[in-house]
Amino acid sequence: MTGTAKRLGDRLLGGAMIAMLGLVLAFLVTPLLVTCLLAFDARSFLGPLPPPALSMRWFEKLVSLDYVTTGLATSLKIAVLTTSVDVFIGTAAAVALDRSNFPGRSLVMAVFLSPLIVPAVVIGFALLLFLSRIGIVDGFTRLLCGHIVITLPYVVRTVLASLSGRDRRLTEAALVLGATEHQAFWNITLPLIRSGMVTGAVFAFAVSLDDVAVSMFLTDPSTYTLPVALVSNMRASFDLTIAAAAVLLMAVSAVLIIVLERFVGFDRLLGQGLFRS
Amino acid sequence: MTAIPVQPPPIAIPAPPRTTLFLLAPGLLLLFAIFALPLFGLVLESLKQYVPGRVGSAVDAPLTLENYRELATPSFAGVLYETFKLSAAASLAGLLAAFPLAYCIVRRFSPRQRAVCIGLLVMLVLLSMLVRTYALELAFGSVGVARPLFLALGISPTSRWYTETLVAAGLLHAVVPMCTLTLLGTIQNIDPRFCDAAQSLGAPAWKAHLGITVPLALPGLVSAFLIAMTFSISAFVIPMVLGKGRVLFLSNTIYTRFSDVANYPSGAAVSIVMLVISLLVLSLVSLVQRRRGSRS
Repeated sequence: MTGTAKRLGDRLLGGAMIAMLGLVLAFLVTPLLVTCLLAFDARSFLGPLPPPALSMRWFEKLVSLDYVTTGLATSLKIAVLTTSVDVFIGTAAAVALDRSNFPGRSLVMAVFLSPLIVPAVVIGFALLLFLSRIGIVDGFTRLLCGHIVITLPYVVRTVLASLSGRDRRLTEAALVLGATEHQAFWNITLPLIRSGMVTGAVFAFAVSLDDVAVSMFLTDPSTYTLPVALVSNMRASFDLTIAAAAVLLMAVSAVLIIVLERFVGFDRLLGQGLFRS
Repeated sequence: MTAIPVQPPPIAIPAPPRTTLFLLAPGLLLLFAIFALPLFGLVLESLKQYVPGRVGSAVDAPLTLENYRELATPSFAGVLYETFKLSAAASLAGLLAAFPLAYCIVRRFSPRQRAVCIGLLVMLVLLSMLVRTYALELAFGSVGVARPLFLALGISPTSRWYTETLVAAGLLHAVVPMCTLTLLGTIQNIDPRFCDAAQSLGAPAWKAHLGITVPLALPGLVSAFLIAMTFSISAFVIPMVLGKGRVLFLSNTIYTRFSDVANYPSGAAVSIVMLVISLLVLSLVSLVQRRRGSRS
């Protein structure tokens, strides 16, 4: 192969590659843009793009729907409660796993992360069977149980990662300088692992707010989360109010991402191997 | 990333075991009560006899393997095949898209472009499954915006083939950002000078990448594929909404056994099958990662 032919081939390959990446990014982003655009569509039906006029009608309809406001309230209550329980229990467990090397430590760690490897549908179904057998039929309690199980591993994992990434010499220095174990923990260790706690809390909140697979089994007729209500309506009718709901949910994700970027930074997020499962 | 991490030797701070136990107890008790016990109950339920018309099995129902035997039918095999076929297709396509993307982000993009791209990918990973599904339905669904385009191309957006493709596209939309973020680390660990050397010795770019970058990234590619597979196999919302009941995944079968026919023992048996499959795929992941760990 001659030099010029090689260079031409490389340039063609490079061009094809850029084109392919463009296509991939378009595939990832276009549906979201279409949704945002249609959520502001003034027409009462699903017509071709672009919409001739924009309006807030779908958002107005969205907030006027009973099932949306009830569902959103339940979802937020569950997500906040779940996240708080997770941060307490998960941080305590991670600190315990980090500070001592007792026999069976890796087994205990595996137990804490194990809900991640069980499909959510299986967790939901198992909990439904179990809770109705022991007589708990209240939707709110059932949802809370389900959401805690599926989100706890995220907090344990991120806090553990930040614990093992911290400089242990700082805690040691505090102890050498006369701090009690309590003081060293509250004043040195806890501030050092704050980023892990925030990341874990954000993930727990996002997962809880978005869950359908577990919640589908655990709702009762009067207690349901927003995603469950939306999915049922998505199957029933094709209505752009759900596009408006999608825009709101995207805004929630955006806020969560800004929180993550502010407190943690994406580089740290990747460095901790969060997405390596 | 390439810097050798200088790990200070772990200083063992002797902790009274009582404190450790005290800190672990709430989490362990909670997981025992609302995770371990329910799973155990699920196994038990899957072995109970199903009485039609009854919600849940009787406490003293005789134990039987009937629920599992019932799964050895062509219709259940079809669901299994559909789940695996679409998951594998989405995971492979996801890898094909994610690998060049991750490569460009690490090796070609300026720091600014890199930050924007990674930000976008993190956003897409965190994006609500529901929003993702609905957005795809709105854009490419049977009544979606792209309908005239498909009709012009002679593709019927209501055909079974199209519905299957749409479900796979839904999985793909979730898998691409996931795989790309996983592969960033893999590619960062490959010395770019190998490829440069091959190219300065006369190899065309495609040959250099195929012969050097891809083999070196292979363990990372395999684990990214398997992670995508575990995600896809247990996907629930995507096949339910985009499949419109015509494409059923294992997870959807569990839900229908619960909601439509109220056959709990059979639903439990399907759940156990699904759990075993997920565990098998995941043990492959850890096998690949352990082999990679022992080699480096």
